[in-house]
Amino acid sequence: MRYKIQHITKYSYQQRVSHCYNLAYMSPRNTPRQRCLSSTITLNPTSSSSSRRTDYFGNESFHFEIQRAHKQLTINIVSAVETNPQFTVQDLDFGISCKDAKDQIESSSNKEVLLAREFLLDSPMIKNTEFLKDYAAPSFSDNTPLLSSVRNLTSRIFSDFKYCPEATTIATPLTEVFETKKGVCQDFAHLLIACLRVMGFPAKYVSGYIETIPPPGVERLVGADATHAWISVFSPAEGWVEFDPTNDTIATEQHIITAWGRDYFDVTPLKGVVFGGGEDPHLSVSVDVKRIE
Amino acid sequence: MSRPLDLHKYFPYQRPSNAALDEVYAENGEVKPYWNRLLQTLEGINPVLLEQKKAKALRILRDDGATYNIYSELTDFASTWSLDLIPNVLSSEEWASIEAGLLERAELFNLFLKDIYGPRNLVKHGILPPESLFAHSGFLRPCDGIQLQGDHQLILHGVDMVRDAQRGEMCVISDRTQNPSGIGYALENRTVMSRVLPSLYRESHVHRLASFFHRFRTKLTSLSPNPEQARIVMLTPGALNESYFEHAYIANYLGFHLVRNGDLVVRNGYLWMKSFGGLSRVDVIVRRVDDSYCDPVELRGDSLLGVPGLLEPVRAGRVVIANPLGSGILENPIYLKYLPAISKALIGRELRLPSVATYWCHDPKDMSYIRSNFSKLVIKPTFRGGGDISIYAGCLSTEEQTGLLARIEANKIGYVAQPILDTSHLPTYGEKEITSRPAILRSFTTASDSSYTVMPGGLTRVGVEESQFFISNQVGSQSKDTWIIESEPLALQTQVQTSTQIRQDADRISLPSRVAENLFWMGRYAERAEASLRLLRTVFIMFNGEEPLSLQCKKILLSAVTNVTNTFPGFVDADESIINDPIEHLLSVVTDGKRRGSVRSDLNAMLYCADESREQVSSDTLRVINDIRDALTELDHTFDDNTITAPEEALDPLVTALMALSGLSHESMVRGVGWRFMEIGRRLERAHRTNSVINHILSDSVQEQDEGIMITAVLLCLENLISYRRRYSANLSVPTCLDMVMLDTSNPRSLLFQLESLLNHLNALPKAQTNTNELLPAEQIALEAQVLIKMSSLSDLSQEQSSQRPNLKEKLMRLNELINSLSDLITDRYFDHREDARQLVKKSWADNE
Repeated sequence: MRYKIQHITKYSYQQRVSHCYNLAYMSPRNTPRQRCLSSTITLNPTSSSSSRRTDYFGNESFHFEIQRAHKQLTINIVSAVETNPQFTVQDLDFGISCKDAKDQIESSSNKEVLLAREFLLDSPMIKNTEFLKDYAAPSFSDNTPLLSSVRNLTSRIFSDFKYCPEATTIATPLTEVFETKKGVCQDFAHLLIACLRVMGFPAKYVSGYIETIPPPGVERLVGADATHAWISVFSPAEGWVEFDPTNDTIATEQHIITAWGRDYFDVTPLKGVVFGGGEDPHLSVSVDVKRIE
Repeated sequence: MSRPLDLHKYFPYQRPSNAALDEVYAENGEVKPYWNRLLQTLEGINPVLLEQKKAKALRILRDDGATYNIYSELTDFASTWSLDLIPNVLSSEEWASIEAGLLERAELFNLFLKDIYGPRNLVKHGILPPESLFAHSGFLRPCDGIQLQGDHQLILHGVDMVRDAQRGEMCVISDRTQNPSGIGYALENRTVMSRVLPSLYRESHVHRLASFFHRFRTKLTSLSPNPEQARIVMLTPGALNESYFEHAYIANYLGFHLVRNGDLVVRNGYLWMKSFGGLSRVDVIVRRVDDSYCDPVELRGDSLLGVPGLLEPVRAGRVVIANPLGSGILENPIYLKYLPAISKALIGRELRLPSVATYWCHDPKDMSYIRSNFSKLVIKPTFRGGGDISIYAGCLSTEEQTGLLARIEANKIGYVAQPILDTSHLPTYGEKEITSRPAILRSFTTASDSSYTVMPGGLTRVGVEESQFFISNQVGSQSKDTWIIESEPLALQTQVQTSTQIRQDADRISLPSRVAENLFWMGRYAERAEASLRLLRTVFIMFNGEEPLSLQCKKILLSAVTNVTNTFPGFVDADESIINDPIEHLLSVVTDGKRRGSVRSDLNAMLYCADESREQVSSDTLRVINDIRDALTELDHTFDDNTITAPEEALDPLVTALMALSGLSHESMVRGVGWRFMEIGRRLERAHRTNSVINHILSDSVQEQDEGIMITAVLLCLENLISYRRRYSANLSVPTCLDMVMLDTSNPRSLLFQLESLLNHLNALPKAQTNTNELLPAEQIALEAQVLIKMSSLSDLSQEQSSQRPNLKEKLMRLNELINSLSDLITDRYFDHREDARQLVKKSWADNE
């Protein structure tokens, strides 16, 4: 599938910003199932210096500094990508068992497995996950295939938790999400990652977009899409496989990846330091995902 | 050979019976020949002389400002670096094998660092457990892929080692790769030793240190994108850092600018220093700020010590940082466990210099060893910056041990355990005797050309007690110079590079604007403190004078103290009982450091500014600053004693020390931009204070019999009484007094004199080229103030009206406004004003990674 994505981020400041330094993760990356065909970034005001590079996790990062005074910053990114599905759903039930997977993760000297162990460890936003063990455990048993167990847990999170944009911010800790059983895609992704890690399976955070298809007869709204987040779990046999707890599904062709990392911290869409600007800048984001025939 | 009997031994060194190994003695129990010579000399020195030498060493260290700062509160500043007179001595033969081991180790750590931020083969091939890298906070993912040009990633490598008494060989305890401290202290130790024991030093054929520093500097220069004109800066966290002395010392010695993060800015993809003359490019940073604090955009977002956006010019190779960002990972003690395997993988053999046995709690076998040998082990956190410290489990109670074990069980990846080594001892000159102390040596290796060079010497530290395992400056350990002794006299070529030559290379043209600002405030605070002291001294003298003062006089003088020093409420509207017995309150204006406007708080601020601009201040000035510190401490002792009879005399030493400071800045500071700013600060403050004193003492008119007292007070306070008497004999009158303190340009304390100097200094500051003859705003204001004073009619000003001198008051108030706006204009124009930097995304909890 081919998509054209327009992602506009607008910061409005209370006071003048004299200069700023930023780091953005907003261009789609290449993955085994996805190719970025083009990505154009337009800044207003224009930057005095900028660069693109591939970061530690293989993501495309965009660095820029603005030395002109401004009260509003707009980043407009237009990208084209080609995506493929991962593999079909029935494959999940024929894969490696949880026990074998765990044994291999612990003892294999295979390079991929060794490197995947990075995603078992605590990360900046996912720490002290022990409290989730009891919740996660019922989905896993020694002989069930790992991937179908993960699929099961994905479904349970989908049904146990309520999607509720007002309930959380990026600063809401996992313990609170778990208690209130409310959150957004990013919380559910963090939760699923935490559950997987506590069970001994490497998992990473995937940020990107999802194509939304309006109900029949309803016109697709431009700019009404949003950024999305899901997860990827490591199986020593099948490699990295993506699941989406917010939509109770394995990731599909409609899941377009911008970046992945240990958690949101590694792939924050836009971060940086601004000089001036006052308190609480206003942020508005508009995303439009359009299929190209 | 055994030591000959010497009847003149004052301090015989007795080998302690319990120490298994002592550096003085060879395996056969005899004193090593080079130790014999050294000890003979030291033992033969008369005790009084040796104490004098010890005192001399301390004095030189203080005069050089050599401190190791352990800050508890701001007022309690720094402790002088502690140096033992007996050096650590090693023969060239012994040293050769240590040196070879250190070179090999530096080469290995260099390759190791390259691999970590490059291919990570050590992890991919299973030599390093992934957790040992990926779980460590010192592994900085944003620094992945950054490689310096040339053969070296690791530029400066520090290694702490002890001689293991059991095996008799050197054993590495830890590596320092973040920003190894100590080379400056080692150099200072050497400088002091060569001055205190010159003939012993000369005759001992000690290897010199200068070439090491030369090579270090050459390497840094060669790393620069433009080696011909490399601008190298040393980035310090600031004067509150415990080893700030060393930062300033090395920067000065090698001719680097000493900068704080605020002096640097990234613009258009390059790094710049905000200097007095504008922005100037920076090519190389010698980093003394921990790597994770260096860029709040990509590294720790809560850092106040970083330069936002720094990583980008680093990636582009436009600025080089040594040691590179991310190098702190090599300090991870887990790697000591895997070092033999790492070494085999990277250089094909094991290291010849062994490291201390290290057990990682994450390894099940190691953990079971740790559990069963817990009280024999030192538990270390794997990450040094986390606030956790090494603990010897043997000193803990059973309860504490259980607690520590539980902490470990919850975070096994984060801890290692190491045995306590039985460390060899060194003779140490303590309280008038030579005793035996355990010793640790920190050695340094610098990248040089295509290989490495080891400093022939290093920094030796000894324990406070005979049986002590932790040796650290934090607990007040002593340090020693380290002598590598040649059996033959050294060829002269090792001394070719002298420090003065290096210094001459220094680029002293531009000055960071922060330093200019600090010098400005140093001048202001010094003058402010001096002026307050003079006023207080005057008040003491008047109160203790022959003639009893009238109540009105007392009130005017005391409220002048409050108004001039800005220590409200003070004596304004105070009870009559306080007015009649003000001593205690007056003393608090001198000594209470917590009271804003007190002499002590001004001096603390002055000392802080002096610290912050230390590299601009001459060594004589540092000595005077020490005198000021001493005088302050002395003052506390004097006033603690409740029996003060003449407080005015107690203030004299401090006034003298401050006058010496102003004299020195006049006589021995180069007339550069820095000096100008110090003088501008001083003149502005003096104008302000003189104005204030005249205003608060003379603008109220008093009864005729008291007028003489008020005039005397003003003249005394401004140090003009004697000249006045000479000129006008005993005839005290307000117009002649005002003439002298306001209009007389031959009087260095008059208002007009200050304005004329200010105009001169402002005019001499470098300016942007323009086509017009327009005066700068600051010059205009200074000129206006000058004219305002000049256009004075003495009889107008002296005129009285309802017990006031309204014309005088009005003129002085206007002048005060002008002086204040002059100060603001100078500050705005010349000093850097940073806006607050904020994180775009607030995620405080995510940053405690």
